[in-house]
Amino acid sequence: MCARFAAMASPCELLIDNCDQTIAYQLASLAYRETKRIEQKFSRYLSGNLMSQINNSNSRPVGIDEETYRLLVFATTCFELSEGLFDISSGVLRRVWKFDGSDLVPTAAQVAALLPFIGWQKVVYNKDSITLPTGFELDFGGIGKEYAVDAVAKLCTKHQPGLSVLVNFGGDIQVTQPRVNSSSWQIGIEDPNSHKDALKVLTMKTGGLATSGDARRFLLKDGIRYSHILNPTTGYPIIHAARSITVTANHCIQAGLLATLALLQGENAETFLAAQNVKYWCVR
Amino acid sequence: MQLIKGHKNSSHSSKAKNISSALAAATCALLGTPAMAETVDEGWQIDTALLYYGESDRVTALEGVVAGKKDFGDEHIFSGKLVIDSLTGASASGAAAQPGVQTFTRPSGNGQYTIAAGEIPLDDTFKDTRVQLDAQWTQPLWEDMRGSTGIHISNEYDYLSVAFNGSFARDFNQKNTTLSAGLSYAFDTIDPEGGRPVPFSEMVVDVGQFASEEAYENAFDATRQEGSDDKTTIDLLFGVTQVINRRMLMQFNYGYSMSDGYHTDPFKVLSVVDSQGLTQTLLHENRPDERSRHNFYWQTKYAMDNGVADVSYRFSTDDWEIDSHTIDSRLRFNLTDGSYIQPHFRYYQQSAAEFYQPFLLDGDPAPQFASADYRLGEMTAYTLGLKYAMTLNNGNELGFRLEYYQQGSKNSGFSEPGVLQDLDLYPSVKAIIAQVSYSF
Repeated sequence: MCARFAAMASPCELLIDNCDQTIAYQLASLAYRETKRIEQKFSRYLSGNLMSQINNSNSRPVGIDEETYRLLVFATTCFELSEGLFDISSGVLRRVWKFDGSDLVPTAAQVAALLPFIGWQKVVYNKDSITLPTGFELDFGGIGKEYAVDAVAKLCTKHQPGLSVLVNFGGDIQVTQPRVNSSSWQIGIEDPNSHKDALKVLTMKTGGLATSGDARRFLLKDGIRYSHILNPTTGYPIIHAARSITVTANHCIQAGLLATLALLQGENAETFLAAQNVKYWCVR
Repeated sequence: MQLIKGHKNSSHSSKAKNISSALAAATCALLGTPAMAETVDEGWQIDTALLYYGESDRVTALEGVVAGKKDFGDEHIFSGKLVIDSLTGASASGAAAQPGVQTFTRPSGNGQYTIAAGEIPLDDTFKDTRVQLDAQWTQPLWEDMRGSTGIHISNEYDYLSVAFNGSFARDFNQKNTTLSAGLSYAFDTIDPEGGRPVPFSEMVVDVGQFASEEAYENAFDATRQEGSDDKTTIDLLFGVTQVINRRMLMQFNYGYSMSDGYHTDPFKVLSVVDSQGLTQTLLHENRPDERSRHNFYWQTKYAMDNGVADVSYRFSTDDWEIDSHTIDSRLRFNLTDGSYIQPHFRYYQQSAAEFYQPFLLDGDPAPQFASADYRLGEMTAYTLGLKYAMTLNNGNELGFRLEYYQQGSKNSGFSEPGVLQDLDLYPSVKAIIAQVSYSF
């Protein structure tokens, strides 16, 4: 049974093992509502939501709820584990880096002008509020979709504890539990070089899978390919970044972070991944 | 910021550090899920079983099985199995029961055994240990196509079998239909203790007629052939598996099997009786050295709300004129989430081989082939069993199976001269099968 909808700028689907239409419909509407809720709350492209309040707070504290606090704590852990490379305050760099396949590489002055507005360590928050320095912007783009996948998977497990559900938001995937006949879900990883053909078919019984990297988002100037993965400490794209990295882990968001952190390692991505004891596929 | 950057360069280029567990803990805190052990790599799935098979007054077997399976990722699957069994006891030799005591020479030529009046002659020298090894590798070949190849080795004291197999399976119709084709080639070598008997040679029984041990041995050796013999078997299998609906799966297989070589059982004999039904002499059997068989198999599995029904039927016909029908059914009922019972019923029926003879008549022209092995005669057999299995707290499965097997042979139209009319010529077998299995 399959249910599809569009949210978070991605095709979203729920594959449900062996159930009737009523249950599928119930899970699909739950999933849709949960996804929309998260998108409404954390998208930086919407106005009037929590994110826009925070991003336009000009150093004034903004009240936050428990869910937001948990996401901020998670982002802090990722910032620390990546030694500053994963920084949800680095989204401002997108004002000058527009990865549209063109050769519009920003000038060094343009990049340098933004660096003072980046730095997670300068953000202060607690359980009740967050204070963002003026000019700063938060961007949950790096974890929002994976978080939504996990949140939907959790809801499905809560409402249908016996069912195996595969939650797939544009390639970020969580399988709630093994299927009844203990067969696997089959997942095709897209080949960034060809768009159409699945590069590899892999199987999942349970757990999460996520892919970071996007072959279609880059700049090309003077023969140099600039990947869309930016180093928040320099303001420039990571050098020798892999085209795409897919990782499996217990949870989708965990897989997504490992994939993103690996991309941030540049040419050391494979070494980094090998040290994590996870299954991964790295496309160069 | 500069500090962080400098630090990063020095640490990451030298040695990547493991952040998985810190990230896993952070994820659990974020999602509000309990922390769980990292189960990224699936380990071996091991099945073990110990089986007891006991026929009343006949063969007793004890069998241990260890089977392992591992998915090396993306359905690249290795499976292996080791089976060790030991057989002891007696089995029907093919000789007819007689109103008086009968004396037989053991197949090895070393020693004799006697059978009481009215009893079906059983050769009690049956004792063997068999070791069997299987290894199989299966993997996707390209889209919707899987390939599998394997080797099988089975070795006992006087018998060695080595087989290779290969098969392809292809999914169609959104994986609702699977077509498969397979081939297996087996090479068997037999080298019985005491040698292979010369076809239709008389069993040499020392009842004092020999002047010396050497004279007996010379007479015995004259009934034996030198060296070992072998048999090759080629099996072809074609199958269709079809998903009928969400609950039902159906499978049809056709198999063709050709074997060439030594098919005779070196331990089986035939009684030559006179018009009174009294045994005059005993001859070693002889079977054709070729056999080809067609197998037709149909199986349906149906998933019920709280269990699984599995029913199959097999029809087999061969150029020895043995036609057989097998009906096998298992019904699994889930008692709780972690336990089930599974009754089992199997019915088997076969017609006799064209060269099957319960005995030979003295004075009749010698046949080209003949065997009194009850397994080639007309027979019916059924099995009734029950299995109970439960999932333990640690997720491993423990199962118990108890079955009763009964097989009866029939006279397929042979007239019985004289004393044979009052004797039981067709052995029946009753057996108990008990098994304990554990999967982890």
